[in-house]
Amino acid sequence: MHAFLTGPMFYISIAVLVIGLLVRVVRYIRGLDWKLDRVAYRAHRKAGMKGAARSIFKWLVPFGTRSWRVQPVMTVVFFVFHIGVVAVPLFLLAHNMFLEEKLGFSFFTLPALAADILSWGVLAALLILVLRRIALPEVRILTTFHDYFILALTAAPFVTGLICRYDPANYDFWLLIHIAAGELLLILIPFTKLSHVVTFFLSRAQIGMDFGIKRGGMKGKGMAW
Amino acid sequence: MFDRILLATSATEACDHAARVAFNMAERYKSYLNIFHVLGLPTRAYSQDVIDVKTRERVTADEEYVAWVKEEIRGYYERLLEKTGDNYGIEVAVGSPHREILRAARNNDPDLVVMGGSTGHMEDSSYKKTTAGSTFQRVAKAAHCPVLVVTRPAASFWGGFSRIVLGTDFSEASDVAFEYALQLARALDCELFLFHAVDVSAMAMGKVMAQDDIEEKLRVARRRMRSRYVPKMPDFESYTMDAWEGLPYVEITKYAREKQADLIIMAHHAKRDASGQAPMGSTMEQVIVRAACPVLSINRSVKK
Amino acid sequence: MPEGTLCNKQPVDTEEQLKALLADKGGQIYYEEMKHLDVDVEMLRQTLGKSLKSRLRTWLSMCARCGMCADSCFFYRINDRDPKQVPAYKIQSTLGEIVRKNGNVDNAFMHMAMETAWAKCTCCNRCAMYCPHGIDVGVMISYLRGLLYQQGFVPWEMKVGAGMHRVYRAQMDVTPEDFVDTFEWMVEEYEEDYPGLNVPVDKDDADILYTVNAREVKHYPEDLAEAAILFNIAGENWTVPSKGWELTSLAMFAGDWEACRLQVESVYDAMDRLKPKRMVGTECGHAHRATVVEGPYWAGRPDGLPPVESIHYVEWVAEALRTGKLKIDPEKRIKEPVTIQDSCNYIRNHGLRDVTREIMSYIVEPGYFIDMAPNGEHNYCCGGGGGFNGIGLYRPQRNKALITKRDQIMHTGASLVIAPCHNCWDAIRDLEEEYQIGIRWSFLKPLLIDMVVVPEHMKPKE
Repeated sequence: MHAFLTGPMFYISIAVLVIGLLVRVVRYIRGLDWKLDRVAYRAHRKAGMKGAARSIFKWLVPFGTRSWRVQPVMTVVFFVFHIGVVAVPLFLLAHNMFLEEKLGFSFFTLPALAADILSWGVLAALLILVLRRIALPEVRILTTFHDYFILALTAAPFVTGLICRYDPANYDFWLLIHIAAGELLLILIPFTKLSHVVTFFLSRAQIGMDFGIKRGGMKGKGMAW
Repeated sequence: MFDRILLATSATEACDHAARVAFNMAERYKSYLNIFHVLGLPTRAYSQDVIDVKTRERVTADEEYVAWVKEEIRGYYERLLEKTGDNYGIEVAVGSPHREILRAARNNDPDLVVMGGSTGHMEDSSYKKTTAGSTFQRVAKAAHCPVLVVTRPAASFWGGFSRIVLGTDFSEASDVAFEYALQLARALDCELFLFHAVDVSAMAMGKVMAQDDIEEKLRVARRRMRSRYVPKMPDFESYTMDAWEGLPYVEITKYAREKQADLIIMAHHAKRDASGQAPMGSTMEQVIVRAACPVLSINRSVKK
Repeated sequence: MPEGTLCNKQPVDTEEQLKALLADKGGQIYYEEMKHLDVDVEMLRQTLGKSLKSRLRTWLSMCARCGMCADSCFFYRINDRDPKQVPAYKIQSTLGEIVRKNGNVDNAFMHMAMETAWAKCTCCNRCAMYCPHGIDVGVMISYLRGLLYQQGFVPWEMKVGAGMHRVYRAQMDVTPEDFVDTFEWMVEEYEEDYPGLNVPVDKDDADILYTVNAREVKHYPEDLAEAAILFNIAGENWTVPSKGWELTSLAMFAGDWEACRLQVESVYDAMDRLKPKRMVGTECGHAHRATVVEGPYWAGRPDGLPPVESIHYVEWVAEALRTGKLKIDPEKRIKEPVTIQDSCNYIRNHGLRDVTREIMSYIVEPGYFIDMAPNGEHNYCCGGGGGFNGIGLYRPQRNKALITKRDQIMHTGASLVIAPCHNCWDAIRDLEEEYQIGIRWSFLKPLLIDMVVVPEHMKPKE
């Protein structure tokens, strides 16, 4: 089982992830239509690029936009969650060793303490996000099963990973579950709202181009996000 | 002289005195009387709804409603309409009152516009706050015909004009007013009283004036009147000239009363004064609300 | 398929149809007929297939349902934080449902969608600035309006408005003759005060082509005179087109994209015909957006720009003050607490924030200008945008929506509100009437006329 999950299944999940996301990107870009979207993408590439870059960058910086600033609690939760959710899978020592072995390369490695803090941060943030969905009427009304599903999907590898870390007795069992959960997550990313790992950038770039080209970007100092 | 009279009316009490004057004039001079009513401005942007100036209700100004309003107006003036016979028309428009009155005056080219005082409600309406000056001021400023305003019961007016007071301040506009007054006096065989008031208030002169100075000013005013107006009425005899000192609007009102005038004619100054205040000096405004006879306003653009 | 005589899927294309529609007092019969209007599911599907592409589809599907847009919406804030007023909910429960059900929706649903599209959103686009994913609900509501319009589920005044543009190429029944005649009348009325004042009609190769809002012609023609006076004082070589003078587009509020195209092309034709260097539009926000920002796309212009450079009136004023074409008498600057209401359509949708503040620096005595909070691109809608002001059916909702702006104004302590936008101006007028907070409001033109230095040759001789 371990061999299958770390062998063929690993390659399959990576492939599904990469191909799935690539298809997403290509389909999105091909589906952009200057007339329907009413944005002259081609005619003003430079203004478009500038608008897109600003639009993405400002939102990647904690408290970089007014929206982040006026909702500070959400902003902290959001960034703790997203930084952890991106950094831990990529930069954990164990993951890097695995990558080195399977794909022949590895990333920078996080110190163990940082990885612990980030992981716990992710789970804490997840908990708050769930509670927020239940407690706030304006979020509750929007929430669907899918939203809880992807939260659970994201939580699974972290929960199992932390169990591995703290429960050496049943390490092998939990590791297996952990790998399965991780691979399930990778496979489902392109088919769920988790595809925002790429569509976030596409959508932000698009609205950035909209404001950058059409809605004042070529007039004022650029959108005051 | 008065072939066509446009009576701008709210068809409420506020316009009763004006209406009586207009109907009496129409009867006396066989004028066509155009009774003109403005419903009000649409309340919602480009919508059809207006606040009816009379009922203060929100209504839809469609054909049906307009027909109803016309019938209401006909009913309101039922007794007065006996004076005009069939020689009248009723028009109803939607918009800001001054603008629509001016538009009607432009389209129908009347010889005279007759208006009443404020409708009262307009005072507390927020429309008014955006715009300096009343409907009358704005009409008087821009109309190409004389504008007659009646705010008080015109005690000394019985249908025709016989004694006309012209208040002059020697301006270009006053010259136009003089020409009109002379023409009117000739046509209707009236007596004409040319009058100038020397403003001796400390506010106007910047100091308390010595009596010698006042008398000198009065002499100058009389000389000026003679040289300015007498050569222009070679074959006209029945005129009198006077210059009094005091507060101009008080003096004009007093003078008109003493002479038993049935019409006061004054020039309307289109220019804004230095303080950026609404057009027309306060003198005419004050005379209008005080005089016991109709007041006729003439601006420079009135055709001779 | 029951189609009403007035309420149906056909746009108003003739004067007779328009009159018939107008004769229906307040749309009583129209709304009655709407209760029985069928949904053409096939047409809805086809339209979705043709026009709902990656941008909108992605927005709908990627929405993280995080609710961060809630507080950005003034409707949500003034309606006691009703969750049904959350922008994401408003679009998901309407357009989102239509897409999920592939057009299989009924009459009751369309009524709900109509109320959402016109009475719960003014398309102010503020929420787009607060969504981490950059989802612009205003754009989607506008798209939804297009679907609803096509199906005949559109407020009466919107159908009338779009019909006006189709029949008269203006938002009201003002013909080219009416326009020229009124403009000339106004100039005539004011030339006593400003000798030499004139209005050049259809002049070729002018520096400025001036376009207006039909409402000015119909109800506030002084505005035309004021524009003429200011252009003359500034010594501009300007003109107005006898055709193609209407800058506004109620068709945009209605979602009648075909009428939008017809309307904006009439203006572009005037540009092509008269070859001006620039177009300056009057003080109107949505009109600017319609003709300058969105218009090029309706007309199919690949560069996304109008045929000649086109600017909003505030841009011209700022430039004229900056270059000294208009000089302000320092004595006459505004010396009372004053604030500015920027139109969403030129500030959030065309980046003119600094322009209006520059104008304030010239016309207001230092210390008397107080900005609203929030302001600039983050300013709230006046409460009457997107057609909201004109719809009788939704008047109570509109009056409530004014509360945001009322409170914003009251917090500044200003007694004068400058609103270089017809819709904002109307909304502020109405909020004063409704809530009586003791403010005055004004366009820029009358204020400028009061304080500008008139050159010697334009002063009346006497």
